Amino acid sequence: MTTTPPSPPISVSKIEPSTLDVSVGPQHPGSGHMRILIRIDGDYIVSADPDIGYVHRGCEKIAEYRNYVSNIPHLERPCIADAIHLNWGYVLPIEELQGVEVPPRGKYIATIAAEMNRIMSHLYGTAIMAGVFSGHTTIFMWGFGDRDLFIELAEMLTGARLTYSFLAPGGPRRDLPFGFEDRLTKLLDYFERRIPEYDRMFFHNPTIVARAKGVGVLTREDAMKLGVVGPVLRASGVEYDVRKAEPYGAYDDLEFEIPTFKEGDSWSRFLVRFEEMKQSVRIIRQALKKMPKGPIARKAPLVAPEGEATGRVESSRGEIAYMVMGDNSDKPYRVKIMNGSFRNLMGIPFLLRNVHVGDMPIIYGSLDYWPVEADR
Amino acid sequence: MTQATLSREEELVGQLRSQFPEAIKEAKVDRAHRITVVFEKDHLLDIATFMRDKLGFDHVKGVAGVDFPTHKKIEVLYFAGSYSRPQIQDFIVILKAELPRDNPAIASAVSVWPSTHYHERETFEMFGVQFVGHPDLRKLLTLDNWEGPPPMLKDVKFPEMGQR
Repeated sequence: MTTTPPSPPISVSKIEPSTLDVSVGPQHPGSGHMRILIRIDGDYIVSADPDIGYVHRGCEKIAEYRNYVSNIPHLERPCIADAIHLNWGYVLPIEELQGVEVPPRGKYIATIAAEMNRIMSHLYGTAIMAGVFSGHTTIFMWGFGDRDLFIELAEMLTGARLTYSFLAPGGPRRDLPFGFEDRLTKLLDYFERRIPEYDRMFFHNPTIVARAKGVGVLTREDAMKLGVVGPVLRASGVEYDVRKAEPYGAYDDLEFEIPTFKEGDSWSRFLVRFEEMKQSVRIIRQALKKMPKGPIARKAPLVAPEGEATGRVESSRGEIAYMVMGDNSDKPYRVKIMNGSFRNLMGIPFLLRNVHVGDMPIIYGSLDYWPVEADR
Repeated sequence: MTQATLSREEELVGQLRSQFPEAIKEAKVDRAHRITVVFEKDHLLDIATFMRDKLGFDHVKGVAGVDFPTHKKIEVLYFAGSYSRPQIQDFIVILKAELPRDNPAIASAVSVWPSTHYHERETFEMFGVQFVGHPDLRKLLTLDNWEGPPPMLKDVKFPEMGQR
């Protein structure tokens, strides 16, 4: 058996007389602990080396010890702001291995829950990663206040505020509760009235535009080369969304657009999330209207046959793909998680070069990087 | 899914097979949108370059290791996808190489697909796979809190978590 080299007790590096190495963190920038080692020359960042792993908990190893269903709660923990998508991405390949097809109504319920989760996650990203990092406390209060209204409805639907464990192989656990559709429609009406206010207060606020426009530019070519994904990729002008590329759930029946921007700067990364929230409202309204009647779930076996399957969904931080390998037992032989945050990690050393130290929070915040999701 | 709808997948498999008749051991269509290609490990860079330049697979979604102690091998899987060609955005091509378990080594794909950088570092750390030519092959996630064999190997067991 091979062994990896032991961890060095202390790292030593040669530095130029004019530069200085600064350790930013380990800190909790609103989404989990991480550290970035930056080398600065005066007020400029010369290079950056993200040091991750502070919140690594071996999800993939744990998954080999738990049976398929009891893996759901811990595999959705890495990104509690986006639990439905982490849950859904894991369930899809299991259903493929077992040959279980979710009934149409189950797909619609999952789609509604996922889009509610996308709004919540983007509100969180706007409130903390964009708002607090740019010193804008009003958007922090607004974002969190409105997010909580969605959380209350998610609790009504699933029984939990954040970590829902809502989707099992075969379909969602519950049907829509009595009165849910009315409350959700009212909430969407309220949220749509709020959208222009958000726009004036934050997204087109001259102080935010001055801080974020033209900062941390990622060109279309670089974005594709680095393999970044999700809103970060779409802000650089690449039209890529799993909901369109390989539709799952009810997305095939629903009309929506993929917002993209050409600029690739921090401001357009904020704006992509803003536009996506509007599209999510549109998707939920259609799904409520088109929702078919019938069963919500099928019974799925506890065992998955031998073989491997890869399933993917579009999470709030980009495509999340799971490779699940079965071996005729009730536990997976291997689960591989490929999520948006780990792929967007490539953007951190790339963007934190030749920029002001003061621009670092804006660039980091615009990536909506979630360390726990990346570390798994 | 009917057979006729898999023509795009079949065409891609045919292209890869005819380009690399020796390097590719097995190429098959798993289902719509999914292709698995098992290749000789020495030809990774040739296949990757061809896929990037001629077929439009410009990024890798992830690199996975899988340990098979009974077969004395470690499989390395590259999940390649495309952003630049909208008509194949729905594909995931899984490139699979089989490495000997006592000395797992393969060329690093970073020079062709920079997006593999952190994924290869993770697979190095978790499975002990040496990616020859990687610019910065260091531990990534378990620095300072794990000594010993790579933790994702099957002989590293955690009995307190139950039976496997």
